[in-house]
Amino acid sequence: MNARDKILVRLRENTREQYEKPQMESLKPITYPDPVAEFITKTTTTAGAKLMELTEGESLNDAVRGAYPDAKVVASHLPGVEAQLNPDTVGEAQELMKVDVGVIEGRIGVAENACIWIPQTMKEKAVCFASEQLVIVLRREDIVNNMHEAYERIASTPEFFQPYGFGTFISGPSKTADIESALVYGAQAARGVTVILI
Amino acid sequence: MSTQHSKAAEQYLQHDAVVKRHDNTFFGVRQKRDRMAQALPEWEDLREAADRIKKHTTTHLADYLEEFEKNAMANGVHVHWAEDAEEYNRIVHDILTAHKVKKVVKSKSMLTEECHLNEHLEKAGIDVVETDLGERILQMMKLAPSHIVMPALHVHREEIGDTFRKLIPDFDEIARNYGQAHDDPNDPTFLTYVARMHLRQQFAEADAGMTGANFGIAATGDVVVCTNEGNADMSTSLPRLHIVSMGIEKLIPDYQAMGVFQRLLARCGTGQETTVYTSHFRGPRPGGEMHIVLVDNGRSSIIGNAEHWQTLKCMRCGACMNTCPVYRRSAGYSYTYFIPGPIGINLGMLRNPRKYHDNVSACSLCCSCDNVCPVKVDLSTQIYRWRQELDSLGQADSMKKTMSRGMSFLYNHPALYTFALRCSSMANWFGALMNSKKVNPWAYGHRMMKFPKKSFHQLWKEKKL
Repeated sequence: MNARDKILVRLRENTREQYEKPQMESLKPITYPDPVAEFITKTTTTAGAKLMELTEGESLNDAVRGAYPDAKVVASHLPGVEAQLNPDTVGEAQELMKVDVGVIEGRIGVAENACIWIPQTMKEKAVCFASEQLVIVLRREDIVNNMHEAYERIASTPEFFQPYGFGTFISGPSKTADIESALVYGAQAARGVTVILI
Repeated sequence: MSTQHSKAAEQYLQHDAVVKRHDNTFFGVRQKRDRMAQALPEWEDLREAADRIKKHTTTHLADYLEEFEKNAMANGVHVHWAEDAEEYNRIVHDILTAHKVKKVVKSKSMLTEECHLNEHLEKAGIDVVETDLGERILQMMKLAPSHIVMPALHVHREEIGDTFRKLIPDFDEIARNYGQAHDDPNDPTFLTYVARMHLRQQFAEADAGMTGANFGIAATGDVVVCTNEGNADMSTSLPRLHIVSMGIEKLIPDYQAMGVFQRLLARCGTGQETTVYTSHFRGPRPGGEMHIVLVDNGRSSIIGNAEHWQTLKCMRCGACMNTCPVYRRSAGYSYTYFIPGPIGINLGMLRNPRKYHDNVSACSLCCSCDNVCPVKVDLSTQIYRWRQELDSLGQADSMKKTMSRGMSFLYNHPALYTFALRCSSMANWFGALMNSKKVNPWAYGHRMMKFPKKSFHQLWKEKKL
């Protein structure tokens, strides 16, 4: 027998009593009277991100340029964003290490913890992590109350994992408190995050 | 009468300021966890759900592993199985060799610590770079983790600064580019910047990325990795090869369960509403390869242990350590197993009771860990049970055994007990002797009480109460 079969046999032999799968109906997760307002609060407080709302007639590109006027290298594959690098067409992911601002799209916002679901829609997902500053564009109608609702949506949207088999929740900039518990933004990934609600 | 833990703790306690800082640091995390729990009306229902999901999954683990394997393979992932640490190390080494990997960037994984993977790979000439900031600091200082989630909080900034200056070759160049005034040469923000630039270089150069797994989702074959720094994502977005090391107990059934655990993990572990990154890996990078190594290393036997199998529910959040008064005041290195605190005591005993029995003394049975554990592992009850088993392992303390026999004799003879109680106040005449640690080991760390002239029993009988 190979390791796999030996492990499976041992597990089956050693399991004594078996427990039923619990029903989850009794779990009543938190909801908010105004999930968008809660999402905005959490984004700008605990998550430590900035938040902008697109004004009437303002383009996404103007908003990005307005927020980061000094950015030399912008990377994005979103239509309408003027970018020097495109994560769909770069030869190597390493090229995205020099990006000042990456602009990507989020598909679900979660009010309880400011998480934004970002399915990989670009060839090189490094743009989501290696960029110095990250801009995440999110539709306000895509904001849900809590993680249960978010996972329900993901489970019923298989396209999120097509064509690339990766998706991530991001809540604000990269953080660490590994040196004497001092909270520092920008451990290895994005040092700052701006969420643009449209 | 002393265990290795109590001896090591005694040494640690010599440095009052260090102990206070350690205690406050982790109690602060515990308080943050409390605020998170209090902010959710459904908190106890979440814990109940997590407990029941884990019980269900653990007792159907073979079925879920087969489902997970099938789905992962359908997603284009290579799945490997390892019975023990040796086989695991060999599998990882073989994958790296087949890809001619010289440098591997690694995000934190307690499983690789358990199996001593790093040493194994380094012996084979592979450069292994830990990328979690805390782990990287420890790796450079050649130290072991002192906590499973915040591994380097016991190290002070001066030591970290000195280590960086000595071991990061381009430290001066990075420091010049920092561009922000800072009076303290060991300012945490500055040192984090140095580590950032140093580690980003490593990500770019590496030929492979390794991660652990916080969760494996059977229904989809996803591996879920949660970090605050984004180091697991950097490790897997730049190199083309991704190897996941996953203990078989990390499985959960589906996305419905994932919602429960995602909400509990960071709240319990660090007192945050979420980790910054919750990443779902369902397949290799375009043009890359993804491997999952499923590791048993004793877990399938633990399931057969009627008294201790529920330890397998643990999701390594570290909440039990943060709340433990013994851990907070004795710190990670006082324990002889590489995972400290209540969960480490139990995991050590399951690994090798003859080797790690010293740690069972590191518990005051205050039961606080049971109350914070998100999956309701009855940690203190299990420690209590292990203590009952010490004698059968030949590890019971002979002095305590003699005392227990004496007490048993005394309590089984009521007349003798009553007589002894009447005479007890005579012990007060020998106060100096009673407080001598040489004569009375109990006096160590305790002030002996003064026996009253009359017992409660007597006073009650005389209606003086």
